[in-house]
Amino acid sequence: MANYNIDAKKNMTYDAIVIGSGISGGWAAKELCEGGLKTLVLERGRIVEHVVDYPTMNKDPWDLELRGALGPEDLKKHAIGARAGFVGANNEHFYANDEENPYTEVKPFLWVRGHQMGGRSLLWGKQCYRWSDLDFEANAKDGHGVDWPLRYKDVESWYTYVEKFAGISGQALGLPQLPDSHFLPPMELNCVEKDIKSRIEKEFPGRVMTIGRVAHLTEPLNGRGQCQFRNRCDRGCPFGAYFSSNAVTLPAANATGNLTIRPYSIVNSIIYDEKKGKATGVRIIDAETNEYIEFYAKIIFCNASSLSTTQILLNSTSDRFENGLGNDSGELGHNLMDHTYRVGAMGKLEGYEDKYYKGRRPNGIYIPRYVNIDEKTKTDKFVRGFGYQGGGGRGNWSAGANQEQFGAEFKDSLMKPGPWEFFITGFAECLPYHENKVTLDKENVDKWGQPTLAIDCEFKENEKAINRQIKSDAVEMLEKAGVKDIVGFDNEHEPGYGIHEMGTARMGRDPRTSVLNGTNQIHAAKNVFVTDGACMTSSSCVNPSLTYMALTARAANHAISELKKKNL
Amino acid sequence: MDRRAALKKTAMAAGSAALVPSLFSLLQSCQKKPRLSWEPIFLTVNQAELISTLVDTVLPKTETPGALDMKVDLFIDVVFAKLFNKTAQQTMIAQMEQFNTTCEEKFGSIFSELSVQDREEFLKEEESKSGKYNGKVWGTAVGEQKPVGFYRTIKSLALWGYFSSEEIGKNVLNYDPVPGEYLGCIPLSDVGNTWSL
Repeated sequence: MANYNIDAKKNMTYDAIVIGSGISGGWAAKELCEGGLKTLVLERGRIVEHVVDYPTMNKDPWDLELRGALGPEDLKKHAIGARAGFVGANNEHFYANDEENPYTEVKPFLWVRGHQMGGRSLLWGKQCYRWSDLDFEANAKDGHGVDWPLRYKDVESWYTYVEKFAGISGQALGLPQLPDSHFLPPMELNCVEKDIKSRIEKEFPGRVMTIGRVAHLTEPLNGRGQCQFRNRCDRGCPFGAYFSSNAVTLPAANATGNLTIRPYSIVNSIIYDEKKGKATGVRIIDAETNEYIEFYAKIIFCNASSLSTTQILLNSTSDRFENGLGNDSGELGHNLMDHTYRVGAMGKLEGYEDKYYKGRRPNGIYIPRYVNIDEKTKTDKFVRGFGYQGGGGRGNWSAGANQEQFGAEFKDSLMKPGPWEFFITGFAECLPYHENKVTLDKENVDKWGQPTLAIDCEFKENEKAINRQIKSDAVEMLEKAGVKDIVGFDNEHEPGYGIHEMGTARMGRDPRTSVLNGTNQIHAAKNVFVTDGACMTSSSCVNPSLTYMALTARAANHAISELKKKNL
Repeated sequence: MDRRAALKKTAMAAGSAALVPSLFSLLQSCQKKPRLSWEPIFLTVNQAELISTLVDTVLPKTETPGALDMKVDLFIDVVFAKLFNKTAQQTMIAQMEQFNTTCEEKFGSIFSELSVQDREEFLKEEESKSGKYNGKVWGTAVGEQKPVGFYRTIKSLALWGYFSSEEIGKNVLNYDPVPGEYLGCIPLSDVGNTWSL
């Protein structure tokens, strides 16, 4: 597809360098290339061409020796990814090698990575929700963290901009706490979800249930096909129906003729020129040859993922920035956030035995935040809030393992769909705590001699208080909705499970307490932009990727305009 | 000649239990009625016979194929060899031995040599005393999953091996690799059996 810079000496100087090719890096590349900038994307892993490099996209369980499961050797390679529960033989090639990429868990923390072109955009959950001023004003109102240097009105048009290109399906609801996106048609709720929706909305005024808002096309867009309901997204989609850098932004960037991608390029540091007062380039290690190479550009976008971007900035030291590039505030590496997850309730439903569905919908239901959204819904138990994801469906043969039966009738019964089941699981906002942090661990280096990260992060009382309410509300809602055999659960997992790492190079109004300004520029090195999760000043309770897209497009267009004005 | 005694003796003489499968064909020649028609890659012949008879009891042949038709016993042998780590292998083998010991105490024979009726009698007891799997959300168990023991583990593997086999997936259940649409509420009678994927 793209120009690949595999001859390192050929071209050392570009207009822009983008570090990383995941969700935000892909957007940065697209915007910068379309703005006319010769752009080099540095990717630490291999090339993954859309469709061509999706080897398992059409495999059925019987095509794989262990029917999709991973043996002990593969599990060792994916020890972290396996803890998250999503790695299998169908997608393991899109998960980083955890053995080769160690980090230290000062406290338990799950850091799931995707080291290839497209990064985790190949693997993400695709749930897309706009933030509102309830989120952007949260820090200012309750005093946790620092104030966001922007408000909803500053991002609103950028949300629309990225949604029109990415393709987000969903149902408009007009809720102030969860602004509607520019939607493609919503996916359908099934019979039981519709029933539960009406019961919850009747029993709990102010609560609503809707179909998930997702980056899946429900009608063709820009040459991409619509979702075929195979639910095999994490193998790569041959139809390009879900948003990934590989299927969407990188091809657009490439179409301009301005894109070069260099694979196997591990960024060691960003080069800062004290006389010029700005960054001049990026120093990489070729992952295959271990050679150090420098590339130069007028602007640099950091999109390596929250923690990897932070790692690079911490490792970019100079006389001016002894503690890492842009770290005058001492906040670089701090305020790490995630969402709590896997706390909720599940159960079975009677009835609808004669109803079924067709298709494997890669989406579920969403119950938007309903606590602490106004004076009426205020609780004194915690600040901020939570939302639920979940869904309903009929059980299959796998339920047979627990049934106290065996033999001919048992076998035949398993050919038919089982009872309807329904679950919801909450996502809680996590506060920015200065002491939740990552630091460079120079004692433990990786196979390229690079310092690794030590991650020291935990959920605290506010998150635990939210989780308690998530669980009790979940059980109560399911009870009132007529669900039986309800099991409330809280896996009390460590942070990182949400795979929504955020906050370690936060935006803010004051250079003394933040790393980035209101347009994602490092306060003291304005030609360096950070637009991945590291920039987030608070965490909201909704999935963050759509906001990364909007902030990236906004920052990239700001960068182009500033370059034209010769301000960078 | 008593087969188990012979096996044990031969294995000891050879100095390694790992050699047993390769001696299998020799042993079979002095068997009146060979019960295993395949060579396990991990399990001993005895263990493989237990697995075979167990999965056959759980998922017997009816108008639809049985577990043995789908080579579920061979699949479980592969699972032991390639999916289980050392600890899981050892635990499962130890529990398998215990399963047979209990069986012998109660019925006078190991499981594979019981009558169909006695096998069913024994499994009823195993069903009632075995642990259960927790519910799952997005593939991960909710709460702390306690071990479910040998019987429930093998039963679960048998279901997995059987229902994820090509014949069942394509020709018995409803195979729809590219649905193309999502219809949230249709009569079950339009579909019949469960979707396989």
